[in-house]
This record gives sequence, C-alpha cells and structure tokens, in this order.
Amino acid sequence: MEGKVVFTVFRHDPSAGARPRYVSYEVPYRSGMTVLDGLLYIKERIDHTLAIRYSCRMGICGSCGVKVNGLPRLACFTQVSELGRSIKVEPLPNHPLVRDLVTDFSTFFAKHKSVKPWLIRKDVEEQENPTGQYLQSDAELERYIQFSYCISCGLCYSACPVVTALPEFPGPQALAWLYRFYVDSRDHGGRERLEILDRATGIWRCHFAGSCSQVCPKGVDPALAIQLLRRALIRG
Amino acid sequence: MSERRLMLLHYVTGLGILVTGAVHLWVVFFTVPLDQTIWETTMLFDGHQFAIMSVYRNALLASTLWLLLVFTTFHAMNGIRVILMELIPNERVMRVAKWALIALGVFLVVYGTRTILIAYNIR
Repeated sequence: MEGKVVFTVFRHDPSAGARPRYVSYEVPYRSGMTVLDGLLYIKERIDHTLAIRYSCRMGICGSCGVKVNGLPRLACFTQVSELGRSIKVEPLPNHPLVRDLVTDFSTFFAKHKSVKPWLIRKDVEEQENPTGQYLQSDAELERYIQFSYCISCGLCYSACPVVTALPEFPGPQALAWLYRFYVDSRDHGGRERLEILDRATGIWRCHFAGSCSQVCPKGVDPALAIQLLRRALIRG
Repeated sequence: MSERRLMLLHYVTGLGILVTGAVHLWVVFFTVPLDQTIWETTMLFDGHQFAIMSVYRNALLASTLWLLLVFTTFHAMNGIRVILMELIPNERVMRVAKWALIALGVFLVVYGTRTILIAYNIR
C-alpha cells in the first residue's frame, strides 16, 4: 500500500457549543502505520487542535480506544493496512464526550469500582501482615487467568447494546472483573460479590449479544464471564 | 422477590410453556378429528357435542391447560417488565408498571381459570 490515506475524524467541543462535524485529513502512508500514528501525524503536522488520548502506544494502557470504521478498537493496535485508504475515526460510544476523540471514563471506572475489584479476605490481619504466600494450583489459576488480561480500555463497554439502552447496567468490563475475583481461590467475597449483581438493572439484563467479546483487543471473553456468573447466581 | 428468583422463574416458565404447550397442541391436533377442532367448533357450533370439548373435560388436560395459562402469563408479564425497563429506564415509571403488570397478570389468570372451569363443567 502506497500513497495517502484519508482520515475522516469526528470533531466536536461540547463546551464551545458548535455543532459536531467530520473533518477529512490526508496522511501519507508508511509501512506498519497504526491509526494512532495517523492521528498523531494529523495533530503534529496538520491540525494541532485535534484532541486524542494515548499513552503506551503498544496495546497495554488501554487509553487510545476510539471507533474506527464503525468498530471500537485501540488506535495503537489497529494497522492502517487492514482498513484501506479511507478511515473514519470517532469517539467511543456509551462514554460521555469530552472533546473530539476524548471521552469521559468516570462512570465506567465508578462501575468498575462498584464490583470491588480486589481480593476480599476474612483474615484481614493476615492480609495486612502476611506470614506466607497464597499458593494456587495451575487449575485454580486457569479459572480466572484470561479475565485478568483485561486492560480496562472500555471497548467492550462501548460495544455493549445494553449499556446504551440501560445506563445503570454495570457493563461487560465490570462483570468480567467481578467474575475474575469471584473464582479466585484466594478470594472470600463469594456471596457478597454476587449480591452486587442481583438487582433489576444488574447482570440479568445482558442480552448476550456477544459484541463485548468480539471487540476485546486482549482476547478476554466477558460474555462468558457473564454466563458463568448467571450460573453461579442460579445455583445460589 | 429478588431478581435472581424472578429470572429463574422466567426460565422455568419458559421451559414449562414449551412442555405444556406441546402437550396442548398435540392433544388438540392429533387426538381430535380435524373437522372437530376448536376452529371448526367455533364456526359450526350449533348445540352439538364436539369431540374437542372432551379435551377440556379431562381433568389432567384441563390442569395442563391451566399450567400453560399460568406459565404464559408470568413469562409474558415478566418479559414486558424487562422490555419496559430498557425502554423507560425510570424508577418511578417501573414501580407503577410493576403493579400494573401484576394486576394484569392476576386478571388474566383469574379470567382464564374461569374459562377453563366453565369448559370443564360443560356436559
């Protein structure tokens, strides 16, 4: 692939009161170029007022989530070569807009915190002053390891149709984290964790669209976690 | 009632509808001559005893029909509640809708039970 790529970027500043618009920028293509590279080229060479958020540039921090050609993706993890010459970049849906491609993750992180994403222990004293290691077998690790790969980038949350319809729904990310700790053999939060989910706007509202698992850049399967949590709730 | 129990009942009644609905359809379509099914009865009823009525006078089949009525009513009312919750995510609206759906469900079960009992008692 040679020549130029056209980036059509969503531009809007809610605080300025202007109407949202799409602006097209021509960016020279180079081998190995990612969507984030293209956006940074625009910001550095064409229009420095473009607002974007990024940090690690290697798919670890989860900061640069945007909607690329209609799908939530990490800009740093998406190769331009797999998208063609026309690329449409928009902010993530289901997150309030701050400006241009930057969205507000406050609600997302509040929901994340609400599921108590940490080890709950009965032996608080032992947890505060450990006398040894909490050993786990391979099988115990296997039960939650894939869910611990989550980088909280919010792509699954933005792809979730239930969050769109029902803003109180915790979202796939929070539920996957809850499951990650629920099945951790070191955790004593079992019942307490399930109670968090068992409400009208909780886990039962998932339609099992599966889009959360489809868009996850780290291969986590939140839809599976939700189904397994439902099973745990049904079994009591 | 907790959401967990409501949804468990939703799944159980869903399966119940499949079973009792299948029994009901099988009895109506395969144990009664086609010209004496409920549609024919509705159109042609002129005081004659049609074989279809024997289905509703059988205690076991009448009970199955009643179960189908209860399962369908619960499943439908809870399904509407879930749909409304996403269409109108408002706590106050949902509180009103919940009681309206309970009232509608009770009415449907009472009225349906009355109909089944009337059919059961016809001689």
